[in-house]
Amino acid sequence: MTMFKTPTRRGALKTLAGGVAAAGLPLSARYTHAQSAAPIRIGFQQHRTGIGASYGRWYGRATDAAVQKINEEGGINGRPVEIITEDDGTDPKRGAEVVEKFANQHDCDVVLGPLFSNVVTGSAPRAGELKMPYFVVSEGTHVSSGALNRYTLQPGITDVKSQVIAMAPFITDTLGKKVTMIFPDYGFGYDHRDALGPAIEAQGGEILAKIAIPPSETSFTRYFPKIPRDTEVLYHVMVGPAVLTFVKELGEFFSGRGPELFGFIDSLEAVAIDSPSLEFLEGSHFWEGMCRHQQPDESQHATTYRAAVGVDERGASVNDPADVSTYGHMFGCWETLHVIKAGMEAADYSGPEDRAALIEAVEAMDEIPESLDHPQGAKRFNGKTHQVFGRQFITQLQDGYLNRVRTTSIDESFYPDQVDYTLRPF
Amino acid sequence: MSRIWLGVVIMILTAGATWAHASDSGFVLLLPTSIYIAAGGATVALTVVLLAILPGGIAHGIFRPMLLRPIAGPPTWVTSLVVSGILLWLVWRGLAGPRDPMANPLTLSVWIVFWIALVSLQGLFGDLWRYLNPWTGAAALIGRITGWRAPLRYPRALGHWPGVLSFLAFAGFLLADPAPADPARLAWAVGGYWAITMTAVLLFGAAWLVRAEGLTLLMRCYGRMGMLARARGRVSLGVPGWRILAAPVPSLGLAILMLLLLGSGSFDGVNETFLWLDLLGLNPLEFPGRSAVVQPNLVGLILANAALVAIFAGFLWLGDRMVGAHTPLRVLICRYAPTMLPIALAYHIAHYLTSFLLDGQYVLAWLAETLGVGHVHVSAGFLNTLGPVRVTWMTQAGVVVAGHVIAILLAHAIAVRAGGDTRRAVISQGPLALFMVAYTVFGLWLLAAPRGA
Repeated sequence: MTMFKTPTRRGALKTLAGGVAAAGLPLSARYTHAQSAAPIRIGFQQHRTGIGASYGRWYGRATDAAVQKINEEGGINGRPVEIITEDDGTDPKRGAEVVEKFANQHDCDVVLGPLFSNVVTGSAPRAGELKMPYFVVSEGTHVSSGALNRYTLQPGITDVKSQVIAMAPFITDTLGKKVTMIFPDYGFGYDHRDALGPAIEAQGGEILAKIAIPPSETSFTRYFPKIPRDTEVLYHVMVGPAVLTFVKELGEFFSGRGPELFGFIDSLEAVAIDSPSLEFLEGSHFWEGMCRHQQPDESQHATTYRAAVGVDERGASVNDPADVSTYGHMFGCWETLHVIKAGMEAADYSGPEDRAALIEAVEAMDEIPESLDHPQGAKRFNGKTHQVFGRQFITQLQDGYLNRVRTTSIDESFYPDQVDYTLRPF
Repeated sequence: MSRIWLGVVIMILTAGATWAHASDSGFVLLLPTSIYIAAGGATVALTVVLLAILPGGIAHGIFRPMLLRPIAGPPTWVTSLVVSGILLWLVWRGLAGPRDPMANPLTLSVWIVFWIALVSLQGLFGDLWRYLNPWTGAAALIGRITGWRAPLRYPRALGHWPGVLSFLAFAGFLLADPAPADPARLAWAVGGYWAITMTAVLLFGAAWLVRAEGLTLLMRCYGRMGMLARARGRVSLGVPGWRILAAPVPSLGLAILMLLLLGSGSFDGVNETFLWLDLLGLNPLEFPGRSAVVQPNLVGLILANAALVAIFAGFLWLGDRMVGAHTPLRVLICRYAPTMLPIALAYHIAHYLTSFLLDGQYVLAWLAETLGVGHVHVSAGFLNTLGPVRVTWMTQAGVVVAGHVIAILLAHAIAVRAGGDTRRAVISQGPLALFMVAYTVFGLWLLAAPRGA
């Protein structure tokens, strides 16, 4: 016998598609069906200070915009949504404390988690102990790896492993089969290193060299001679303050005669692509979670989303064109909040006693259609691994504009399940 | 009393929370900062050379103030009382207001309005703290209403040393507390400190503030750097630092505090650098957060200050021996420590300039929202655009270099006053001048270094 309301998959899907209809209701009618008018309280664990602050600022804007939309559409189960923000300081230990505050002091129903992997892995165990649904937007593979728990889910953003795997066919088919990798010598870099090699080899390509750069390095010229001469594609995923220096030195080293370049937009989030030294990247390709620069065929949903988060056609704030957003990632907050909404509606969520039912409702989700709730595109949620899969974008920098040249299919990003969280007890 | 004091220190040091600075230093790394740093060091060195060949009285002349019209300000107890009221309201907002530190008026007021802006204004313009401290007004009001007189005398033997400890506790909170920006945590720290200090002022009188209260001492030290000062009913205006020449020689405790202002400020810069994180074996690209560096930062703070005092004393001793004098070290430290104030103030302003420009927008946003006058969009664009980054960095560097030039001029004027002729002053100043040139380069390097925390 189960003590929880178990939602059906059909119920979850129906709810996912239902948000648009509610938007048509007049304001006065929106909250009237609620059994309780008390708000749904969502704890927002934000990188407000610390090294993640620039991500945190934009995660905050995307979250505010999503909540405004959800409330205008009638809230969740007829109840308004309220965001309670706590600063995690981009600090794993504080992250766990913040989760605890959400549970014990702020009476939150669920928690919306942040980007930095170390904060997520530091906080998730506490969320599990407190039986607090913890919806993270961190793109780390730690969720699907099985390292976390039943209460931690990543339904709004794809993980690094799936992104890298989806890039491999394009790299080998279009850019070249002989690949050299340059990556920072720690976990984030290893995620790329470990995922790319097998994926490139599966496409008949070959990794010629793996060049790990110490994280505290700020000058890179001495590493470039290690790049094998027959390299056709240089795959680079540097992050941190020295990225611009890296690009500048790389450009000077090759003087326009080097291999094709393929990078991840993570290196340049919140940085204008027409910044000095980035001219060396002209012609190079990027992975983007969502296209920062508006594409000619951008969907109406994506355009509406762009306006809602206050971003112009170049991915910068409409208030200040120099204030570039973290566009490739922040949609994850918007989409995750809509998954929470859909899950709560499918589970007929009324309070913390329904948390397990909410988890089951989200686990029951599968196909997620493209909509204003999911403007990045259609997705498929894997309830066993608690990880969502979606299409990926490859853009090319042409005359200072990131033009999309390839959209990968969802299927291209799959990898075998490593865990079945649904077998774990609540 | 000492037990209460110990309690304050322990409470502040163990109160648990995160304050970080904007560290988008990628564009700074693109600037030719090594050339700028060399130019800054050369400017300060050139000042030393010029002073050696120019007449001895020139430095003194630069610092001569001019008298302005007499003006009457508001009674200090009234403004102080208003600030007390605001502070208590802020503490309440810290406990009951928004949990987001950038939307909570307590966090914004303490760390941006007070610590970044007011300290800088105090150093630039003069003693605003006598109007804005949150204790003297309340004490005056209680005295007027109840006729209360402080029953205890402040033990003079303690000198300024309790104030030195109090400042170190504040610096520890700023640099090593895991979450000093957390509104509730900050409310307990601020409210507790206010109440304990208020009690001490009622018991010991205003002497407590000017001897044992670290923030008042800090503000009075920086007040010596202000261009404006009131004396005998008149207001005088002079080049920053003129009041240091006019002020009496500080006690040893106060002199050490002046050095700690510089040492703590410098460590505030050092603890964010890749170099420091590397030293601790931490990955600067995946900084584990402030809670992982509480102990290293406390130890670093103490070591940085101890090293600065030792090096400063060593150079003074060397200079004194080079002219064959045998001035007691204590006298030398007290005589020259005030010359470190312009450097400390300059570094404070420069170090926090980007934070002021970014986080100051949150203050404006809060004001705009509270007053209902529209929305202020907080933008970090200026940190991610080369032009503004260059202007900001050059401003920071200019302030740092100016601070060192003033320090050199002050030290020279003091040496001439103490030693008689220019030649002896120049020789005795040699080691200290060398120290200041090196410190210029160090300060500029700190502004240019990649940061990861």
